[in-house]
Amino acid sequence: MNELFGLSMTYIAIGCVAVTLAILLFVGFIAVRNPVMFKMGLRNIPRRKAQTALIVVGLMLSTLIMSAAFGTGDTLTSSVTSEVYTILGRADEVISWDTGKEPKPVNEQTIPLATVDMLRNQFPNDPDIQAFVPFLSEELSLQDQRTKLNEASPRIVAFRTDDAKALGGLRDTRGNEVSLAGNEIAVNEKLAEAIDAQVGDKLLTFYQGASTEFTVKAIVPNTLLGGTFSTGDREGAAVDYSVLASLTGKTDRADGIFVSNRGGVKSGMDRSDAAKAKLEQALSGTPYKVETFKQDGIRLAELVGNAFTTIFIVFGLFSISAGVLLIFLIFVMLAAERKPEMGMARAVGAKRRQLVESFLAEGMGYDLGAAVVGLVAGMGVTLAMIQIIKSAAGDNLGLNLSVTFTPRSMIVAFCLGVMATFLVIFISSWRASRLNITSAIRDLPETKPINPEAATWMGYFRAALNGMVVLALPVGLTLFLLGSVGMLLGLPLVLMGLVSPWVYLLRGSNVALPRELRLAEDPPKWPWILGLALPVIGWVLILPWYFLALLLVVIVRDRKPAGMASWMPPAGIIVPPFGFVLVLLQHARTRIAWSAGVAFAFGVAGGVLTFTGLDRDSSFFFFLGVSLLFLWVAVTLRYFGRNERASFTATSALLLVLWYLPSKVYEPIFGELNGDIEMFFLSGMVMVTCGVFIIVYNADIVLPLIARLGSRFGRILPALKTGVAYPLTARFRTGMTMIMIGLIMFSLVMMATLNTNFAQVFLNDDVKGGFDDVLQVNDNNRIDNISDAIAKSGTDTSPIRATAELRVAYPFEAEVENKDKKKKDGEVPAFSRYTIFGADQGFFQATTLPMKFRATGYETDRAVWDALANDGKLAVIPASLIAPQNGFGGGSQDLLELNPVKDKFATFTLKLRDPGAGTSSTVTVIGVMKESGDTFFSLGDPNGAGTGGLVTSKQTLLDTYPDSRGQRFYLALKPGTDGKAYAKQLESGLVQASADSLQKLLDDQQALQSGFLLVFQGFMGLGLIVGIAALAVVASRAVVERRQQIGMLRAIGYQRGMVALSFLFESGFIALSGILLGLTLGLSLAWVLFTQGEIGTESEGATFVVPWLNLAVICAIAFGASMIMTYLPARSASRVPVAEALRYE
Amino acid sequence: MTNNGTSAAATNIVIEARDVQKTYDTGSVKVYALRGVSLQVPRGEMLAIMGPSGCGKTTLLNSLSGLDDFDSGMVLIEGNDLSRMPDDRKTEFRAKDMGFVFQTYNLLPVLTSVENIELPLIVSGTKPKLAREQALASLERVGLLDKAGQRPSQLSGGQRQRVTVARALVNKPAIVWADEPTGALDSTTATEIMDLIVDLNSTAHQTCVIVTHDPKVAARCHRTIHMADGLIVRENSQAEMVAVAAGR
Repeated sequence: MNELFGLSMTYIAIGCVAVTLAILLFVGFIAVRNPVMFKMGLRNIPRRKAQTALIVVGLMLSTLIMSAAFGTGDTLTSSVTSEVYTILGRADEVISWDTGKEPKPVNEQTIPLATVDMLRNQFPNDPDIQAFVPFLSEELSLQDQRTKLNEASPRIVAFRTDDAKALGGLRDTRGNEVSLAGNEIAVNEKLAEAIDAQVGDKLLTFYQGASTEFTVKAIVPNTLLGGTFSTGDREGAAVDYSVLASLTGKTDRADGIFVSNRGGVKSGMDRSDAAKAKLEQALSGTPYKVETFKQDGIRLAELVGNAFTTIFIVFGLFSISAGVLLIFLIFVMLAAERKPEMGMARAVGAKRRQLVESFLAEGMGYDLGAAVVGLVAGMGVTLAMIQIIKSAAGDNLGLNLSVTFTPRSMIVAFCLGVMATFLVIFISSWRASRLNITSAIRDLPETKPINPEAATWMGYFRAALNGMVVLALPVGLTLFLLGSVGMLLGLPLVLMGLVSPWVYLLRGSNVALPRELRLAEDPPKWPWILGLALPVIGWVLILPWYFLALLLVVIVRDRKPAGMASWMPPAGIIVPPFGFVLVLLQHARTRIAWSAGVAFAFGVAGGVLTFTGLDRDSSFFFFLGVSLLFLWVAVTLRYFGRNERASFTATSALLLVLWYLPSKVYEPIFGELNGDIEMFFLSGMVMVTCGVFIIVYNADIVLPLIARLGSRFGRILPALKTGVAYPLTARFRTGMTMIMIGLIMFSLVMMATLNTNFAQVFLNDDVKGGFDDVLQVNDNNRIDNISDAIAKSGTDTSPIRATAELRVAYPFEAEVENKDKKKKDGEVPAFSRYTIFGADQGFFQATTLPMKFRATGYETDRAVWDALANDGKLAVIPASLIAPQNGFGGGSQDLLELNPVKDKFATFTLKLRDPGAGTSSTVTVIGVMKESGDTFFSLGDPNGAGTGGLVTSKQTLLDTYPDSRGQRFYLALKPGTDGKAYAKQLESGLVQASADSLQKLLDDQQALQSGFLLVFQGFMGLGLIVGIAALAVVASRAVVERRQQIGMLRAIGYQRGMVALSFLFESGFIALSGILLGLTLGLSLAWVLFTQGEIGTESEGATFVVPWLNLAVICAIAFGASMIMTYLPARSASRVPVAEALRYE
Repeated sequence: MTNNGTSAAATNIVIEARDVQKTYDTGSVKVYALRGVSLQVPRGEMLAIMGPSGCGKTTLLNSLSGLDDFDSGMVLIEGNDLSRMPDDRKTEFRAKDMGFVFQTYNLLPVLTSVENIELPLIVSGTKPKLAREQALASLERVGLLDKAGQRPSQLSGGQRQRVTVARALVNKPAIVWADEPTGALDSTTATEIMDLIVDLNSTAHQTCVIVTHDPKVAARCHRTIHMADGLIVRENSQAEMVAVAAGR
């Protein structure tokens, strides 16, 4: 894959490698400059092996998810690409009839061979074009006379031997040249497999009633020359050009011309654009078009690979976010564990910076190890996912998947993993380094000195001022890039933002202190070194701004006022540059309420994003902005000492309500807002965070009730009492762990529920439409009377209860009036392409396809079908025709679209037209079929018409589209008949038709859908490992932290089991809260989205189903795994030696 | 199970240690914490154990109270041989018949004062309502009823130790073990705590074994034993310790 989120992978790789190298250089620099602190950090790694293993597992997950996503993308891209190269070989473009320029019946859409000669004369020694290869192609039914196996519509092609040499010549599977003469046929591998053909077999082909016998001369690979034109269209064979020409009446004509460019199979493609331009010029005025089909195929392969990578990365974002939280949690825990050591180090003279460096050294040890492990594990996960896709999809995939990892993708995955971990380690190390030495040495809780400005407006403004300055870069960039509020404000903020990190760095050093406090200490040198060591990044992002910051600090350091006038901070917030000056002048020791300050900056960014969301009709910006504003309100209320529980609960609950609101409620106020797949991630993050706030701030109300309930089971009451008391006192770690588990559960539940519901809409039993088997008839060998044909073939007709015929006009031969004037390519065409089905009386009488909406006057679905049976000018349309064509991939550029209608709609007319013959007719639409109708018509359709079509009478279809070639039969069988077995009998009897059981086709589709769901669920479920690892980390840490308390509990009479049970209750409470939170939020949001039609009109009127079994399994796995992982720490807690624990410090 | 119970009961001895030995093996070095300690403590006595750091005071207390195992010898608590008791039984025994006070308080920070105090009662199977009543009564006895709903972090050191004492006494144990109960307190608060322990001892007639460095604390006890190198080397009466504490 070459692109990710629209960015070139090469540039991404270069950027990632540069940043990773910078990180490694930085760590190397620490090692050289301060080897003692570096070693101190590194030597911590082997101290606790089990803990190290747990940390590595936690840290590796981000890399694992990214490498698995990239690996899957690489595999799909390379598999499709290699198939395209193999199939098309040296052919790069194709010249064919353009029905858009001049409509004609399919049989007449041919090119005279004279045109080939004309082109050859025009481009004799062209630097781009090497050869022109005319070909004939027709779908003929055939039967192997030895095996009696037949194939209804394989593609039979013909090339002139000399022409074919330009494409490498026809060769058998061993590479020997094959030349065909007379009635010889070369069968491709796929067709040979289907009819079990061997060299020497006699094949009987059928074309418009006439049969011709061919002898198999060779088995050839599935390539263009062997009749395979694409990955989805494989069965084929090649015959002599003159034989096929005389058989199909296309003497001296070709169905198309393949063009081979100069260069090889791959390099020739680079000349496609030039070749196409020349050919289009040469063919101007003719009804022919030039398509760069190899280039298109490769681009499609890229698109498929990129789409899968993007989907996996977006879905993986939940796990990556959970992984990032885990990394943070791990390092916060490590810092807590090392507090006394760090306190001692500080006491004996280590600086904060050195503690950060020591932590970074240790963190990078884990980080590099984890990134390597994650990369390898991600490759393993890719292998597993591809294997599941292969086994679930079977032949439906039409692609030979071979696992591929490109070094570039793997480097990007590795570097992204290293970078993400480094960033989080850096932040958590910085946080850990800010400790009170005395408290740290004695391992006491951190105490904060009294801040005289706490909870005052002055303190708040000061915090807001600093928050804006420290976050000036992201806030300024938001303003600048979105440009909606004012670039004028954005630019100074960006500039301030570039200087501010260095100002804050200098503020912490003596160089920034007032004269009386300043000692002979130089400013930090490492920014100079780092800046010089990183050409480009350093010279642009470090050196100039560090120099400027240093200059500003030196200028203002002796001018710090004793106090700040109360009007200054608010003024500084309004005028950002003034705010920056005030921060510079502020005394370095002034206490700042950072949480309030950061929340203020987020609030500003939230306001901008909200405005931008409304301005651009973007749900993502709007909801992100509003969520940030709510966060700002909650933190501000807390700052001013308002009831923390009430503020966080109320703001979280309000935000949840906002997220639950269906668009029809808020759209009248805010206008239409558009969102895509990213909303899935954002909703999860915000809703789960809100849910966790509500739980951690209110669980103390509920838990005593649980404990009271537990009093009924006297033995567990003590364990329950301590088990629920601890998580609520450590809100940070409890909340983080709950978020991790909740996020993953939310994503799994949403996916499983929506998938099940959409499967319910598209893949229910309705899709069989009242029939059991479907027969797809070869276009060139139509069947007039199916019952007679079956009887003649020797197949017993007694199991048949009813037969129905559908004639089909495909989009390339049929047009419908563009009634609602939908734009295509910026224009409003009068007609648009569409599939039309013409059904006979048998179909109308037997079908049970349900209607989604009926026109006024039609009370039942049957009434609609009966009306169609009685009036040939009536029609019904599929649900997909009135569904908005947006979302992933958007709508097709050519196909018809109509405005939505509602139940009891007024009938309307549509004009049907055959662009070739010029014939037309008008039909009146009286019903809209349910989505199951789309699936019914697409099942077993060899032309791959993914959706349904307009259904009218057979007579109207034949009158309007006299040249339409498609024919299908549906059979309703008597009860007790095995549809699958009967379809096999039919197929062996009818050479010109392929037969399938509708139940089997439905089962295949359901299996495919379940397989993909399994892959996605498995992939997203990887995140559960994060949540479970977090629980294990928290529990292990708790055992260490609470050793003395455990000793005391044992001293006062807690049995070992009771201690273990207490730990299990504690983890169980967190796990269960996270699981239930994810379940509740995921299920309820899925319900709102589905029932309110927020993710497509398909769900309108459908019953919401809850996949209880699937959800129960997910919850059970999550809870079971959590408990298993916590069992070990719980057991070790129960085995703590009492006397030793009581002495433990 | 009673072992030699007759002699213990006959002399009203609550705690009896016979040639108790305990060695810590740190891998390269063996530390002989108890080299054969024998001791008898009659019911209702307040016994102080003194000695320099590392002499084995806490090890002896832990061995006598069943918090720690010992290598050889015998410890009889009310005639029950601790060395023969399985861990579960020992734990149950501790819950019902013993109370503990430690230098570092060892209160659960996540529970309120009253919840900390009622915990031993709940563990030993008392109904929650009754446990709460008894815990509040115990809290009242140590003068902290108004702090019932506060967590340890909201209390001063002295108040925390009072809560610990209340917890140790709430289930009316036969024996209270205290390891440096005043070690972390200033002298005024330490005196208050000792007043409380002495008062409770005299009213409830519980046996108290107190490990201490402080001669003033030892002076409040009926008897003091002195340890050195894992052995009891000397024994003083209360009067003798009062003299020592007064610097005479």
